[in-house]
Amino acid sequence: MADERRRLHVVRDGAASSPHDRSRALDSLLTRAGRGDEQAFADLYDAAAGAVYGVALRVLRSPALAEEVAQDVLVEVWQHAARFDPATGSARAWIVTMAHRRAIDRVRSEQAHADRLRRHGHLFEASAPEPDDIVDVSYRAWRAERVRDGLSRLSDKQREALELAFTKGYTHTELARSLGVPLGTAKARVRDGLMKLRDLWEESP
Amino acid sequence: MSHLEHQAHTLLAAYVLDAVDRDERAAVDAHLAECADCRADAAALRETVADLAEADAEAPPRAMRDAVLGRVAQTPQLPPTVSQAPSSAPARRRPRRTAWLVAAAAVAVTGIGAAWGALGGDSASRTLERDVIAVASAPDAHTMELALGDSHLVMSDRMDEVAVMGHAAPMPAHGMEYQLWFVLQDGSYMAGPTFVPDDDGDVMTLADLHDETIMGFTVTEEPMGGSEAPTGDMVAEVSL
Repeated sequence: MADERRRLHVVRDGAASSPHDRSRALDSLLTRAGRGDEQAFADLYDAAAGAVYGVALRVLRSPALAEEVAQDVLVEVWQHAARFDPATGSARAWIVTMAHRRAIDRVRSEQAHADRLRRHGHLFEASAPEPDDIVDVSYRAWRAERVRDGLSRLSDKQREALELAFTKGYTHTELARSLGVPLGTAKARVRDGLMKLRDLWEESP
Repeated sequence: MSHLEHQAHTLLAAYVLDAVDRDERAAVDAHLAECADCRADAAALRETVADLAEADAEAPPRAMRDAVLGRVAQTPQLPPTVSQAPSSAPARRRPRRTAWLVAAAAVAVTGIGAAWGALGGDSASRTLERDVIAVASAPDAHTMELALGDSHLVMSDRMDEVAVMGHAAPMPAHGMEYQLWFVLQDGSYMAGPTFVPDDDGDVMTLADLHDETIMGFTVTEEPMGGSEAPTGDMVAEVSL
């Protein structure tokens, strides 16, 4: 039965639905989850868990830590679902930025620990849990392509700054130190880079 | 634009990327609460961050689904509030131990319960909410249904606290409040906090178990300000 669910899921999330439709569908699932609808939350899980886990993995790099944080974030999404207001942004952004923030919080608190592990070579040891297959491959490829394209239009310096802030959780103060540039410059690179992406993606969603 | 506002504005991108320190985050939060333009900018930038993040989507371990749905089935939800931003990391924080205590502090407790009912999003209610989540997220949290709309009572021995949270609670009669009572071993009642649903019927309150051996809880309607001993009709009951 689980396999059937997955197969159906892939069909339903095929290339036919636009990113906009997907985003709206997620808004509606989160709103229903906010009223205590566990089935809606299960559907939300299928639609969003890949993004939550992916961002946690990107930031934390350890599959075990990423799973822990992803689980906590998804439970937090459930707890806070009634707080979601579609007027203030999409469910997608609400969920994914929560995941990013929790992952960054975790990386900051785990940094010393991770450094120790890395020295001993444990952090990247492949733990190979059986992956779920609900992430829609075509959609994911489309997203990745779009992001690659967007990033390629930034200056090298903007891209570097954005990358460090996004995936390593550097504050702009740390960024300035790490890049050896004045604080204002580091701030401007992050801001200009992100705003340029926003403009690009708003033009062609 | 004041210096602070200007600074908050220039920090928006770093803010949505979590590339700010705690003080900067607080400054931006404060500014966003007052500036609709910046809220709209922040929302648009969040979508961009979501785009960036989604490109990294990765299939999670298969067992994670059951684990999350299993936890969700046992996790009570928070009522809606006026504030929109996801609140900051509540889960592992030990609640501040304040004067939530019962017999001795009925007046203070009433004050906070009323503030929640009346104001929804002020800092007292946010603190309360954080503390309630901390109880609900405790490893030994034990959730029981409470027949007050769609409400739950969550108890954590480890934190020595009990929380009531729920929605769709009916309003008590005019001039009355709900009051939580602890049923002690000898069958006597110890007074807990009073609370009233907000306009949307959401309820939330928290009380210290005070190292007492509790046999159960009841909720009664009491005159505004609460009573020393139950006087009103019992509206809900939980035995342990």
